[in-house]
Amino acid sequence: MSLAHINIFLAFTVSLMGLLMYRSHLMSSLLCLEGMMLSLFVMATMVVLNTHFTLASMMPIILLVFAACEAALGLSLLVMVSNTYGVDHVQNLNLLQC
Amino acid sequence: MNMFSSLMLASLSVLTLPIMSSILNTHKNSTYPHHVKNIISYAFITSLIPTMMFIHSGQETIISNWHWMTIQTLKLSLSFKLDYFSMIFVPVALFVTWSIMEFSLWYMHSDPYITRFFKYLLTFLITMMILVTANNLFQLFIGWEGVGIMSFLLIGWWYGRTDANTAALQAILYNRIGDIGFIMAMAWFLFNANTWDLQQIFMLDPNLTNLPLLGLLLAATGKSAQFGLHPWLPSAMEGPTPVSALLHSSTMVVAGVFLLIRFHPLMENNKTIQSLTLCLGAITTLFTAICALTQNDIKKIIAFSTSSQLGLMIVTIGINQPYLAFLHICTHAFFKAMLFMCSGSIIHSLNDEQDIRKMGGLFNAMPFTTTSLIIGSLALTGMPFLTGFYSKDLIIETANTSYTNAWALLMTLIATSLTAVYSTRIIFFALLGQPRFLPLTTINENNPFLINSIKRLLIGSIFAGFFISNNIYPTTIPEMTMPIYMKLTALTVTILGFTLALELSLITQNLKLEHPTNMFKFSNLLGYYPTIMHRLPPLASLSMGQKSASLLLDSIWLENILPKSISQFQMKTSILISTQKGQIKLYFLSFLITLTLSMLLFNLHE
Repeated sequence: MSLAHINIFLAFTVSLMGLLMYRSHLMSSLLCLEGMMLSLFVMATMVVLNTHFTLASMMPIILLVFAACEAALGLSLLVMVSNTYGVDHVQNLNLLQC
Repeated sequence: MNMFSSLMLASLSVLTLPIMSSILNTHKNSTYPHHVKNIISYAFITSLIPTMMFIHSGQETIISNWHWMTIQTLKLSLSFKLDYFSMIFVPVALFVTWSIMEFSLWYMHSDPYITRFFKYLLTFLITMMILVTANNLFQLFIGWEGVGIMSFLLIGWWYGRTDANTAALQAILYNRIGDIGFIMAMAWFLFNANTWDLQQIFMLDPNLTNLPLLGLLLAATGKSAQFGLHPWLPSAMEGPTPVSALLHSSTMVVAGVFLLIRFHPLMENNKTIQSLTLCLGAITTLFTAICALTQNDIKKIIAFSTSSQLGLMIVTIGINQPYLAFLHICTHAFFKAMLFMCSGSIIHSLNDEQDIRKMGGLFNAMPFTTTSLIIGSLALTGMPFLTGFYSKDLIIETANTSYTNAWALLMTLIATSLTAVYSTRIIFFALLGQPRFLPLTTINENNPFLINSIKRLLIGSIFAGFFISNNIYPTTIPEMTMPIYMKLTALTVTILGFTLALELSLITQNLKLEHPTNMFKFSNLLGYYPTIMHRLPPLASLSMGQKSASLLLDSIWLENILPKSISQFQMKTSILISTQKGQIKLYFLSFLITLTLSMLLFNLHE
């Protein structure tokens, strides 16, 4: 595949790894989630524009809407965690009692 | 037609007259105690005549006069067995009781309920006579229980004192445990010999008498304070001194030994039971002699001495010599009662002081009491040709020359030497040296009641052994030939005990005070037996009862067995085997690894 595709694909992979391997702040994984959404959007737009598949150009916009919703959801979760503990350190997210 | 049976029944029934006078209210006037004492002396003299007839002719009698009831095949009647044992014991017991009654006229003089005291003592004497002359087990049991009840009432005479009530209760409880054995024996005889009459039991001569004889041994352990059921006897010294002299030295505590002596035809065929009695008696006599060495209360030392002599009697039964045991019962009554009366005289004169560490120097202040105390102690240790010698020396000789358990024999010999040790301790601390009591005590032993009663027992302590053993008919043949060291064993250990005790007692006046060693504490606290046995079993059984009654059903069966145990088990095992910690990072990491692996797998797989 072409270099642009590989570039975007690499951006997606890096964000994925950043989402799954973060150190202590929950906020960093949310940011990586946004990065994933961004690379997906760019990849979708490029494919639609290159193949002139006009009817599918709804998809990146709808993807963006849903990304905004889930960003809001993630931020509200972060706010709840921060309300309980004061910081959003991920080692606090441990309710297992034994 | 001689007057044997009628005189004996007359002397026994004359004793019941003062009890029946309660109906006429003559027991309220102040001469009632004197009446009682006189009645007992008349009964004694009356009973001497049948005894002399018995000694002359050797004729044993059974009087069976009132048929009470018949329960299917069991016939219960009122029957008296006047054989060797009861004919000799009755005059001895009456003589000792006469002296004790006269003594208690002096000792209990200031007691407002002295008439009730004499009535109790008389009731005790009647029940003891019932026990001794009983021909069937039912009548014996009546006497047995009767002496137990009167012992309870008399030990708790000063009922305002907590220790006296505790001691009386202790006596009843320990006696009751022995009664279980007695009732077991009665039941066995009822089932296997169909009777409670002694004649029929001995005639049938059943095999396999282990069970009833064990029951009788348990009864003797309870009543005669053998090891295991012994703590009630030193605690029974809470009662007044006449009570201690009568019940707990001469008459009641020998009831257990008397029971075993009555059953000697059954015991002489059963070697197992004989070994058991021998070992039990040996343990008792040694243990109580050790406990007597370090006591400080004069009555407790004499109580332990009684217990030790009872162990010696049980040892004698264990070597199959019932007649020697009976002789020891009769001779022991004289000097033990006299020892108690002398200690009562000392206690009363020193204004109710019972601790020998606070007595001393009575050798010059109370010469008569000193004389009788020393003679009583010498008779107790078996000084040649005083009373104790005729029974005690014979016992030791017979034990030495018989085919018996060597360990039991060794224990008995050690206990004999310890007898001399604690007798010396009493004499040294109570009589010799400088006075340790308060200077303003009025020491007065100049009362005719006191002096006459002790004098009678004194003459008995010196001559009764000789008198009795020369007048009884020969029963078992004593061993006549033995090596000289065996003949002198009892004398040697006694002299050894005397010298050792004298040395040790003289040393206590010179050295500085040392802390008590472990052996001293063992001896002083009665071998820790009452401390352990009066606390641990009640605590265990009461806590077991509480737990099973209140906790068992609710908290164990309903709560813990299924619900809580399952949840606890699950939690524990899950902690044990789980590796997850609930951290999201690790979950994300594992997700990434899975993803990578699957991508590699699907792409590189050709």
